[in-house]
Amino acid sequence: MAQAAPVAQPDVELTYEIPEQVTLLSDAWRRIRRNRLALVGGGVIIVLLIVALISMVWTPYPTWLQAVGPTYQPPSPAHPLGLDNAGRDILSRIMGGALITVQVGIGSAIIVSLIGIPLGLLAGFYRGKVDTAISFVINIWYGIPDLLVALILVFVLSDALHLIPRGVLVIVIAFSLTRWMDVARLVRGQALALREREFVEAARMAGARDYALLVRHIFPNALGPIIVQATFAIPAAVLFEAFLSFLGLGLPPPTPSWGAMASDGYHGMDFAPHIVLAPTIALSITLMAFNWLGDGLRDAFDPRMRR
Amino acid sequence: MRGTLLYIGQRLVLIAITTVLVSSIVFVLLHQIPGNAFLNETRTSPESLAADLRHYGLDKPLGTQYVNWVSGVLHGNLGESLVNRGVMITPLLVREASVSATVGFFALLVTVGLGLILGVIAALRQNTWADYVASSAAVVGYSVPSFVIGIFFLLIFGHYFFEWTQGTVFYNVGWGDWTQIPVPAIALGLPYASYVARLTRASMLETIRTDYVRTAWAKGLKARIVVLRHALRNALIPVVTILGPLITGIITGSVVIENIFGIPGLGKEFVTSILARDYNIVIGVFTFYAALVGLANLTVDVIYPALDPRIRY
Amino acid sequence: MTAVDGISFEIDRGEIVGIVGESGSGKTMTALSLLRLIPEPGRITGGRILYGEKDIAQMTDEEIREFRGNEVAMIFQDPMTSLNPVLRVGFQVEEAMAAHARFTRQQSRDRVLPMLQRVRIPAAKERVRDYPHQFSGGMRQRAMIAMGVSNEPSLLIADEPTTALDVTVQASIIELLRDLSRELRASVILITHNMALVASLCNRVIVMYAGRIVEEGPTRAIFKNPQHPYTWSLLRSMPRVDEVEKERLISIKGLPPDLGRMPPGCKFHPRCKFKVDRCLTEEPPLGEVDPGQLARCWVLMKNIQNPEAEAQR
Repeated sequence: MAQAAPVAQPDVELTYEIPEQVTLLSDAWRRIRRNRLALVGGGVIIVLLIVALISMVWTPYPTWLQAVGPTYQPPSPAHPLGLDNAGRDILSRIMGGALITVQVGIGSAIIVSLIGIPLGLLAGFYRGKVDTAISFVINIWYGIPDLLVALILVFVLSDALHLIPRGVLVIVIAFSLTRWMDVARLVRGQALALREREFVEAARMAGARDYALLVRHIFPNALGPIIVQATFAIPAAVLFEAFLSFLGLGLPPPTPSWGAMASDGYHGMDFAPHIVLAPTIALSITLMAFNWLGDGLRDAFDPRMRR
Repeated sequence: MRGTLLYIGQRLVLIAITTVLVSSIVFVLLHQIPGNAFLNETRTSPESLAADLRHYGLDKPLGTQYVNWVSGVLHGNLGESLVNRGVMITPLLVREASVSATVGFFALLVTVGLGLILGVIAALRQNTWADYVASSAAVVGYSVPSFVIGIFFLLIFGHYFFEWTQGTVFYNVGWGDWTQIPVPAIALGLPYASYVARLTRASMLETIRTDYVRTAWAKGLKARIVVLRHALRNALIPVVTILGPLITGIITGSVVIENIFGIPGLGKEFVTSILARDYNIVIGVFTFYAALVGLANLTVDVIYPALDPRIRY
Repeated sequence: MTAVDGISFEIDRGEIVGIVGESGSGKTMTALSLLRLIPEPGRITGGRILYGEKDIAQMTDEEIREFRGNEVAMIFQDPMTSLNPVLRVGFQVEEAMAAHARFTRQQSRDRVLPMLQRVRIPAAKERVRDYPHQFSGGMRQRAMIAMGVSNEPSLLIADEPTTALDVTVQASIIELLRDLSRELRASVILITHNMALVASLCNRVIVMYAGRIVEEGPTRAIFKNPQHPYTWSLLRSMPRVDEVEKERLISIKGLPPDLGRMPPGCKFHPRCKFKVDRCLTEEPPLGEVDPGQLARCWVLMKNIQNPEAEAQR
């Protein structure tokens, strides 16, 4: 051997440092840090809820009252957020808008769940034709601009057919009718997986009826992901309402919708930007808070769902 | 190759079916009350209303109207505007669609380009200030809706720039020359760009730790090649899967962006027609949108196997 | 935390050296450090890695890049994950050559097929354009080897090259490695926990435990007269076909120490059957026990009268 010069000669005190990797403590720290955004989001949402509640009984001025001062008046001690193009108190209207936002968001989350959960459970639990039919609808729906369908639905339901008066309810219904697929798809997947699990099998052996299996065993175990999905429906619904009202297709004036307020301020933006800034900032912060809370909940309920 | 063409052909038929199906729902919904479009006009006589209804075929039973409409759609004829008599909808919308497509294309460029760049930088510089800046921007950005960004941009580029530069450099609302493209395109693309950035970052962080990237380093490849050809190529795969929903989002967003920036595209037409109750145009725009979304999804599905050889049609 | 500490060994041209040890003993870290590929956040904190006259630890990024895969190539454990799934196998081999100045671009391209044939991939001509997922595990490992030897490196590091493969494939891969090393006159470092593999392939063995070399020497000597109790136990824990009398296999009780909680004294003493008081407090040096054979032990197996009986106690 060794007829040539040695090729490698790692003659050495080789020392490799591997910094402490994932210990329990550092993992906990990471989780706290990750959830800090969620905590901030939760705090903002609590403030939003409180403001909404207060606005039901008190606002500095009635949200509809015009000419409480000069139109387009910038923020002043009497009117901290200024007055809008019709001389309405913007702070009062922002507070009223918080109530609208809460109603739209929570209402949509509930109705989306009411439609999506049963359909998802049925599709996942019974499989076969039921599943094929429901999945077909879900897949078709993913291929269309759903918010635009919802927009037309609002218009048809309230203006063309006069079924539901133009208001929060029609927006919530139109949104939910086009957005239940996210929840349904998720619940379907959960039900498909859970129905094969031992505890469901055991309950079935013990003679539980399908209804009992679904309601007592499968649904409670899918609750975590369902809550996460429903939480994400809230900012989507809030955005939808603002989007509609901004275009003048949503809540009728003088409803203090943030979207409508942005639209009011849009035309006077050059000389009175405060009118448009207040509702858009309120809207952005609200959406952010719900998204952060949703992300945090997703991580907390099921780390595997993290992207 | 033949397989691919066959697949594309099948998908095109499916898109046509979905488009007609979805538009049919809108058609039926909007035709519940015949002549609604004419109700708010001042009329001299009931005869003129009857004449109008006859002109548009609205006096026929709903079934007949529907059959006529479907055959029209399949021949590329979307009918005539209810408000502006004599204006044929198809050429009008084709013209407007080209405007929307221009804005949408640049918005998509912003979304994917900016999203990828930020995501890759954040991943490569994980836990440095660059990562924190990019990640924070992403977490804020995807919550600010495009119409809010649009308003802010209008305020900044349209109003404040005008004041700062005494009217030499500023954005002017409207549509006409290329300088009017970037501001709305960025406003439209930005929220989705932050979404892409988040996804790219997570995806890159995964791929740069894989065995095959280690192999690439061990082969002595240049850092640029390891990152782009080995890590990014693989990290792109999950990013491409969200392009479909992304395009749907951009189309929805364009409705409000076009209204804010005064761009004469499909989105502006859509809102104007709804407010004017010009149902024929509303249905037409919707048919266009459904087809666009279908085609966008098809494009994504065709690109996908090119990126990931493990996937076959 | 220190994963590997004070490793010092030499490899001569054409030599096949086996590094053996349990998982977590630092074998892979040692090998990766030869190419400066230690995964983040690990790093080399001290020492020199001499390759001829050059110190790998002091090379610039460009020097180490040119060095990797050119002077020293590495073959990884899991061929299923070590090839990039989205690039053609032939291209991945070509890329390894194109990265270095040894071959021109054209030469790199022309050499792909001969390389694949050389590692005995059946129907190589048809399979150059295949993707990794179309290859079996054994074929992928052959492709990895082709990549590794394509630049005719003087040192080939094989990290558990057969562990992830079927038993039937293992033998042919080992045979291939031996033939190639002979043809190319390349040195090989074989990292494994499989003593049988070492016996059949290596000239020299290095036994590692808890990030240290505990015994080192010619294969024949180590197998015949292991001096460190750990080596001895490793050999006794493995069934042998050539033993006439049936001996009881001996298992090594306990687990290798945690990197963060190293025992004082000899790192093996908590699991050692032959320890004396000194082992608990003082770490033995790596001392020469026979010409060419070194062991890190205060006791040494040759001083134990009846090890079998002692170990069974």
